[in-house]
Amino acid sequence: MNKSILLRSLFVSLFLSVLVFQQNAFAYLDPGTGSYILQLALAFLFGALFTIKVFWNKIKTFFTQLFSKK
Amino acid sequence: MTDFRHEHRDPSSFRDPSGFLFYRNGAIYRSVNHIYKENYDHLMHSGLYKTLIDAELLIPHKEMNTEDSLSGEAYKIIKPEQLPFISYPYEWCFSQLKNAALTTLSIQKQSLEFGMALKDCSAYNIQFSKGKPVLIDTLSFEKYREGRPWVAYRQFCQHFLAPLALMNYTDIRLNQLLRIHLDGIPLDMVSKLLPFRSRFHFGLFSHIHLHAKSQKHFADKSAQTIGGKMSHRSMLGLIASLETTVRRMKWQPKRTEWNEYYDNITYSTEAFDEKKQLVSEFLDSIHPAALWDLGSNTGVFSRIASKKGIQTISFDIDPACVERNYLEVVSNKETNILPLFLDLTNPSPAIGWEHLERKSILERGPVDTVLALALVHHLAISNNLPLQKLAVFFDKICHSLIIEFVPKNDPQVQILLSSREDIFPEYTQNTFEESFKKYYAIQKATKIRDTKRTLYLMVKDTSWS
Repeated sequence: MNKSILLRSLFVSLFLSVLVFQQNAFAYLDPGTGSYILQLALAFLFGALFTIKVFWNKIKTFFTQLFSKK
Repeated sequence: MTDFRHEHRDPSSFRDPSGFLFYRNGAIYRSVNHIYKENYDHLMHSGLYKTLIDAELLIPHKEMNTEDSLSGEAYKIIKPEQLPFISYPYEWCFSQLKNAALTTLSIQKQSLEFGMALKDCSAYNIQFSKGKPVLIDTLSFEKYREGRPWVAYRQFCQHFLAPLALMNYTDIRLNQLLRIHLDGIPLDMVSKLLPFRSRFHFGLFSHIHLHAKSQKHFADKSAQTIGGKMSHRSMLGLIASLETTVRRMKWQPKRTEWNEYYDNITYSTEAFDEKKQLVSEFLDSIHPAALWDLGSNTGVFSRIASKKGIQTISFDIDPACVERNYLEVVSNKETNILPLFLDLTNPSPAIGWEHLERKSILERGPVDTVLALALVHHLAISNNLPLQKLAVFFDKICHSLIIEFVPKNDPQVQILLSSREDIFPEYTQNTFEESFKKYYAIQKATKIRDTKRTLYLMVKDTSWS
């Protein structure tokens, strides 16, 4: 019971962040409304995680090169 | 003037208005419709096509004369490199599906660099060519418009992520759900079938569990009113997240009855080597171009054929055997052997609209030669198949046959009979030969040393038909 309440509240809070504008999907396949909205809701998170990943890889490369030079 | 009499449109090619597949004199072609002109030109001239071909991620094609168009409405007619065999995701093992998923994501990443994106993500658009997964749908690309979410995200999750997660977390056999669900496994079902611990995996939590909730919540709402934008960086983040989720999934096959079969065989190494030698000699006497090895286990005998340059499909019922076989293909960079999952007693059926979208195994045959080693006794005794019915089946799928007869007094057959009543008075070498002689001429029959088994080479007498 608790887990479903937790999941539901997380879900609602995520989707409150999605604003409503007119935008057509223009796809021959139905992208699925829920699938579309999920991406928009998590867009910021995916973007942030990607930035961290790129940054982390740069640090790793820097130290690997530093280490291999010695 | 082109002769259109030997031309027909592929019945499975109807969803995408960008073009369609058609057959002409046995070869496959793709018609590119005018509606797709802008995207096709961008694919070809932006450098994306060359990049994908160089990376062996997309099937190469040649442009043909457009006057040869079937409908007369084509912008281009292209002839893709012809594939010897079309396989389906429910016939792939875990690592084949995983590599197909990674190939798809890699294509999406490359496409974004050239201002394009995949507009569909069907697992059926991936085929194994020379041992590697490649995209066969040249019309899957569209110009990327920043801000717009990925239209193929749902399809990627249903076709790739869902079966991989089920195989990894719940049961390896659940990829068979793809056989029922043509457009991938519904995510609400996947969410129910996955164990609770899968929710602690960020990728699965967001792409499967939360995705399923979102689909259910917005099921009756229109996509026309969706707002918000997805930046290019967010799109790259989404693809990276999917890639990490797929890469983290690993399946270690446990000991099964079959995948350690060769460690437990009841006959000597000499007998085993002789059987290999005989198979090799039989193949040399018939020179097939293509071969199906039915009940191939991990592909020991399939490789005798593939090493001779024969296009070999290596079928087995045990997912662990297919997995081991495929991992060997990958590590040895083998190009003409394709391991696939197949339950011969209930083989892949024709599915989809009018049963015409995905072909049955029979429709994908016949093949030049079938190799059926240590197989007949399993079909005849474990599955109660009369030998006559077996001969009818082989007649449908191959022109020549290398087949082993394992008699009742063989230790392996004794094991099969140990727990059941012997209701097989007809299971004799004589009945076996008589049944198969109706369709094939027995060219060779050689006893395998130290065993009671016989290896046959049977060839169809073409003068009969």
